[in-house]
Amino acid sequence: MYPTLFDLAIFGYIAATGLSLAYLVQREEWLHRLASVATIAGWVLHAVALLALAFRLGRPPLGSLSEAMSVAVWVAVLWALWVERQYGVKVLGAFVLPVVLVFSLNSATTRSLGIPGIERALGGAWIWVHIGLVLVGIAAFVLNFAGALMYVLQERQLKAKRPGALYYRLPDLETLDRLTYRTLALGFPFLTTGLILGVLWAGRAWGSVFAYDPLALLSFVAWAIYAGTLAGRAAAGWRGRRAAYFAIIGFATLVLTLSAGLFLPGRHGS
Amino acid sequence: MALFVAGLSHKNAPVELREQLAVEEDKLRELLSDVSATGVVQETLILSTCNRVEVYGVADAPGEARAVAFRHLCRYRGVSPASVEPVLYTHVDADAVRHAFRVAASLDSMMIGEPQILGQVKDAFALAQACETIGPVLHTLFTQAFAVAKKVRGETEIARHAVSVSFAAVELAKKIFAGLRGRAVLLVGAGKMGELAARHLVEHGAFPIYVANRTWQRAEEMARALSGAAVPFAELGTALASVDIVITSTGATEPVVTRAMVQRVMHGRRARPLFFIDIAVPRDVEGSVNTLDDVYCYNIDDLKQVVEANIRERLREAQRAEALVEREAAKFGARQGDVEVIPTIVSLRARLEGIRVGEVRKALTRLPGATPETREAIEVLSSAIVNKILHAPITKLRESSRAGSSRSWLELVHELFGLGRK
Repeated sequence: MYPTLFDLAIFGYIAATGLSLAYLVQREEWLHRLASVATIAGWVLHAVALLALAFRLGRPPLGSLSEAMSVAVWVAVLWALWVERQYGVKVLGAFVLPVVLVFSLNSATTRSLGIPGIERALGGAWIWVHIGLVLVGIAAFVLNFAGALMYVLQERQLKAKRPGALYYRLPDLETLDRLTYRTLALGFPFLTTGLILGVLWAGRAWGSVFAYDPLALLSFVAWAIYAGTLAGRAAAGWRGRRAAYFAIIGFATLVLTLSAGLFLPGRHGS
Repeated sequence: MALFVAGLSHKNAPVELREQLAVEEDKLRELLSDVSATGVVQETLILSTCNRVEVYGVADAPGEARAVAFRHLCRYRGVSPASVEPVLYTHVDADAVRHAFRVAASLDSMMIGEPQILGQVKDAFALAQACETIGPVLHTLFTQAFAVAKKVRGETEIARHAVSVSFAAVELAKKIFAGLRGRAVLLVGAGKMGELAARHLVEHGAFPIYVANRTWQRAEEMARALSGAAVPFAELGTALASVDIVITSTGATEPVVTRAMVQRVMHGRRARPLFFIDIAVPRDVEGSVNTLDDVYCYNIDDLKQVVEANIRERLREAQRAEALVEREAAKFGARQGDVEVIPTIVSLRARLEGIRVGEVRKALTRLPGATPETREAIEVLSSAIVNKILHAPITKLRESSRAGSSRSWLELVHELFGLGRK
């Protein structure tokens, strides 16, 4: 029964993505309301689907990368809903949901491929914490990316002095910069702690951390980019466009990391 | 018995005529009671602003009622009715409803979306109520018109986006900063425009205000007027370091703020944005400061360009507002229990408007170099063609509805324009 629920959830996200993009273009209030409804519906179905899966498996639905990504998407959508209300950024959905959709389609296409022997490999309780922390971090970086993208677009409009449709739709630069900073500050500790646990656990279980695992290697590149951005923001007063560019590069690396995990042979992947 | 509106507006009557016919409140009271005393109207309301003079009413013979009302009006103002007659327009029933909705929603205004008109209509309504010339028909009509106006303001952006240079500057500042509360402003020069822009910023919470001027005394005067502080003109470079928004409007022939000056202060600002509003001609701020990170510099032409974009945005929103008004007018008509032809008219309009919008878009993509004027001309031209084409069939449909013979006409129009079955 669970694939049906996942499919329904994805269908909800597809509808929400379409409606959010339409709202960005059309700016009809009802489109935004429908998009919110579709998002919430997708999210609730997703929650039920994950619960059902957990019961069926008798363990958290974090046993494979695609399962974990599915949970990351679920957390990201929750945060997007919250941030939208908190910051009043009604167009947020148009920037978060496409990413959500790509992630969930990805995890849907690879869903069937379990990691052989995963149950045994995942023996320790720490591994669940490792996965959980990292995916919460990833969810925060989805929003970080959306904020940075909106910042870059709005900044470009303001510099070019030719207000286009996006100038009217997007919020002010300061709000977007704050959103980008806060999501970075939120996601980074989760990612860091998660990675440290991963390193410790891998050292014990596999003997070596990086050995032949593209995902592990790339994830440290992504971590370094985020660490650099955070340090730049905190110490050197980086803000605005530079910070936004780094957020985008960091997220691109993260996507590359996850793709490597999904499509390349390695210890995380299928 | 028919609902009608007759009048003249900025669209077809010159200002000389409008100002002659504008009536102040006291006279309006007399006029309302005189017109209703003649017995040609059951209900009446007169709207008189500097852009329009309109008589709304309910009468058995709208033509006669219009003649009586304007004869009175002309007599009051000593205007010859012959000069008014050619520019008068009259709308009856469903058209009158739509007209009332459009006027209240500021779609018929000189500057679309301007907020005063709704207040003026409300005043006119209150006055007519006080004079007891409002009956059930006008009461329902105007109550609904106010609701539609509110809806239009809430659901479209025709009233948003500044149409003056100084407000456009405030809006730009609000796209850079999260609110203007506590943002420091530096006003360089003591021009009127600069002062106006500074006042708008202060109204939105900007604080503190610094004023720099070559003449110290003038700087102090202006600072007092704005509850700010004067700073020496020579220390402009230092002052730049601590403020968020700079308005320049000096009469200097050379730039008073150079790229080098700004570059120097940006180092110490830790990427805190700096927004220059340069309304001086010749310019006070070197244009190249805009290329510095976190610096935004808008000169008077840039601001005008933003205003033009804002107006285009309002006009785009106005199309949505028109559709909304059309729907509401149709609903209103349906509630009034008549005019089975309105849905057809609405879909006929929508059909042609859809074709128009599509073709205009196609044409414009083939004309990437078209100036805003050209684009607007194309819009206006195509709208005019659509309206002219629509006029005859819509009039015919309305007439047939009133004559009770609408069914065959409806079928015909649906067939001819491929509107689908009704």
